[in-house]
Amino acid sequence: MEKFDVIIVGGGLAGLSAAYTLAQEGLETLVLERGDYSGAKNVTGGRMYVNPIRDLFPDLWKKAPFERFIAREEVSIMAEERSVTMQYDGNELAQEPYQSFSLLRGKFDKWFAREAERKGAMLVSKARVDDVIMEDGKVVGVRADGDELRADVVIACDGVLSFIAEKAGLRKPLASKNYAVGCKEIIEMDRQLLEDRFNLQGDEGMARLYMGDVTGGSFGGGFLYTNKESLSLGIVVGIDALLENEEAFKAPELLDRFKQRPEIASLIKGGQTAEYSAHVIPEGGVKAMGSLYGSGILVAGDAAGFSMNIGVTVRGMEYAMASGYYAAQAVMAAKARNDFSGASLAEYKKLLDKSFVMEDFNNFKESLDVLDHSRFFTFYPELAGSIMRDLYAVPAGAKDRIFPTIKKHMTVGEIFGIARDMWRLRKI
Amino acid sequence: MDIVVAMKQVPDLQQLRIRNREPVMADVPLTFGKIDKNALEAAVLLKEEHGGEVVVVAAGSEELEDTIKEAMAAGGDRSIMLADDKAGDLDSAESAEILAQLIKQVDDCGLIIFGEGSGDNYSGQVGSRVAEKLDLPQVGSVTQIIIDGEKLRLTRSLEDSVEIVEVMMPAVVIVTADLNEPRIPSVSQVLKAGRKPKEIISLDELEQPAAEKTLTTLSNLAPEVNRKRITIKSVEELVEILKTEGFVGGN
Amino acid sequence: MSEVMGLKAKLGLNVFKEDKEFHIRIKPGREKDERLKKAVIVCPSGLYSANDAGDVEISVDGCLECGTCLIACGEEVLEWHYPSGGAGVQFRFG
Ligand SMILES: Cc1cc2nc3c(=O)[nH]c(=O)nc-3n(C[C@H](O)[C@H](O)[C@H](O)COP(=O)(O)OP(=O)(O)OC[C@H]3O[C@@H](n4cnc5c(N)ncnc54)[C@H](O)[C@@H]3O)c2cc1C
Ligand code: SF4
Repeated sequence: MEKFDVIIVGGGLAGLSAAYTLAQEGLETLVLERGDYSGAKNVTGGRMYVNPIRDLFPDLWKKAPFERFIAREEVSIMAEERSVTMQYDGNELAQEPYQSFSLLRGKFDKWFAREAERKGAMLVSKARVDDVIMEDGKVVGVRADGDELRADVVIACDGVLSFIAEKAGLRKPLASKNYAVGCKEIIEMDRQLLEDRFNLQGDEGMARLYMGDVTGGSFGGGFLYTNKESLSLGIVVGIDALLENEEAFKAPELLDRFKQRPEIASLIKGGQTAEYSAHVIPEGGVKAMGSLYGSGILVAGDAAGFSMNIGVTVRGMEYAMASGYYAAQAVMAAKARNDFSGASLAEYKKLLDKSFVMEDFNNFKESLDVLDHSRFFTFYPELAGSIMRDLYAVPAGAKDRIFPTIKKHMTVGEIFGIARDMWRLRKI
Repeated sequence: MDIVVAMKQVPDLQQLRIRNREPVMADVPLTFGKIDKNALEAAVLLKEEHGGEVVVVAAGSEELEDTIKEAMAAGGDRSIMLADDKAGDLDSAESAEILAQLIKQVDDCGLIIFGEGSGDNYSGQVGSRVAEKLDLPQVGSVTQIIIDGEKLRLTRSLEDSVEIVEVMMPAVVIVTADLNEPRIPSVSQVLKAGRKPKEIISLDELEQPAAEKTLTTLSNLAPEVNRKRITIKSVEELVEILKTEGFVGGN
Repeated sequence: MSEVMGLKAKLGLNVFKEDKEFHIRIKPGREKDERLKKAVIVCPSGLYSANDAGDVEISVDGCLECGTCLIACGEEVLEWHYPSGGAGVQFRFG
């Protein structure tokens, strides 16, 4: 029977980061990925922030197959019939080292898998892990297609549903309030047309996030990222929000409605849809997380719940990569002690607690509760849109003065409401 | 006695997409053709019964070194391959010349199995050409192979009859897709695959240079789809339309 | 307004590899369970539908393996696991 130092379930960003780090240090590492190749089952919006993880993988970035570096940030607040867009250009965005990049997982993960192999990791794709092997309450390996494979440690990097963590008794039951669903299209577009339309030079890219009526007034948002020759366009909406929505839009209808908004339709015109994908996103934060470690097992990436949805932006890729890295560090420390018990592997939690990962999650602990507040997704967008409409309107008669225009939109009660919201926002 | 299987690395056709009527080849993973996998399975089944080794021979781009693991996982014992980026796009004459030279390196070769056509261009000539070059008998359209001492008993499925032929080994056998269902390798078989012996040569190392390319592909376009967009409301209507279009009935 | 591409056509752009068995099933006897109605709304591929008798049905071809139906309806009504290795949707872009 084959025995490894480490078996990693799932060859996504978390799994590959762990494998890359472990193999580099000479540990016998096996990655099992159920897709045809790494990247075949992975969906993301499309932007990775490199700053927090740059130093964890110093040699990785130079050749990474990113699409474009994000040189311009935009945010659109959408009301039913109007929208307000803000644009941010900053010198720091356009200077190396770039802060963030758009990417496509089909390319990125496939490449990353090769890099991990170069370091010495063994990768087997088209291999679904069905179960963990437990002996005396300790995880000692996995079962895949009738094969039994053993290791000192198993790292569950199998993404948001994490059946592996569940089988090891580490995952909490899947409660719909802690998850959102994202639907996304890749829209191919001639490179020149894309660069002209979005006013981009060379490898510059832009990221635009949408909030408000994107998702029929419920918790969520939309995103548009420019890739080299395509756009990543999608929406993210809480599963409960989708179910509670009065107009009962079906998930795919929401994306179609979004695409048909005149603001979006004009941006994607001339492009052609090349792929349609969807995926669940964990967004319950610390409260929804199960155990991160057990005897002989660690959990990293989305499997551990390391994704965050703070209103307009989903972040998960950096957390996946960092948690994979720290899981690898914890395994190496455990190996040095030759002790793979839960107590020994608890080092993982300590490493995470000291890192930006848990710091972010602790800071944004309340964000979901605060943001799950439909005012942020209906009232404010309508308010901003209406104020802008009146500011820009030049009626047949005399134009209203500006202050009364704004005041008109806010009764005393509403001002109190806003103050209350601001008080809540303080928490995130 | 060893069994040789000749396999061709082809793009995964399911991953291929068409953009502006041309296939998009970039980033398409490579694999072996469906019928080549049947040929390999046939060889592995024979080996399991009679012993010997299954030797996979192949010619293709340098990625072949990776692709060949698939064949090793599915039961191949060792491989001899020409992996050279200049050999990424060989025509039938070139392939046959190269494969014949690779096969000559197998000393105790009883039987050489080819799939009937490759997944990409399906020229269906390479097996016959190789047989000619090696001066071996060849049998095509084979759906069953039985080894009987020094002889092979082969079942050929023809359009409306089944033929059983006998041939002395060594021989070239060209199989069709319906002779078996290729196995799906387990993880441990995949892991062992990387460690199986392999011999890799480049184009310059060939004893004889591969023949000059004789075929040039001028265009490779997806057919233009011209749908009739007929809406029907009942089965009767459907039958009526199929009749007028000449698909059914038609006495 | 741009033309809306039908869901079937959109799914037709993706690569799906065949599996030997269905990877999602409505648990026998649960076809009328109210919880399944949620899947009709949340499934990004629109694979669930309610028939005239009020039974919810799923046609699993075109499944993106996103997990939304499982989370919305729960394990009591759905038997849900990933397709076998190498089967199911294979994203080219992702
Ligand atoms: C629509 C959408 C938009 C997003 N936008 C962003 C964004 O802009 N920026 C950002 O940082 N994050 C974003 N995220 C979040 C981010 O994509 C995830 O956090 C990240 O992909 C998690 O990586 P992972 O490696 O943990 O999991 P995954 O990428 O899900 O990888 C899990 C892997 O495990 C494999 N696997 C699962 N089960 C098994 C098994 N039993 N056997 C073998 N293999 C198995 C899967 O095939 C898969 O490859 C977004 C997510 C979505 C859905
Ligand atoms: S996993 Fe996603 S795509 Fe598949 S049936 Fe469930 S909701 Fe639909």
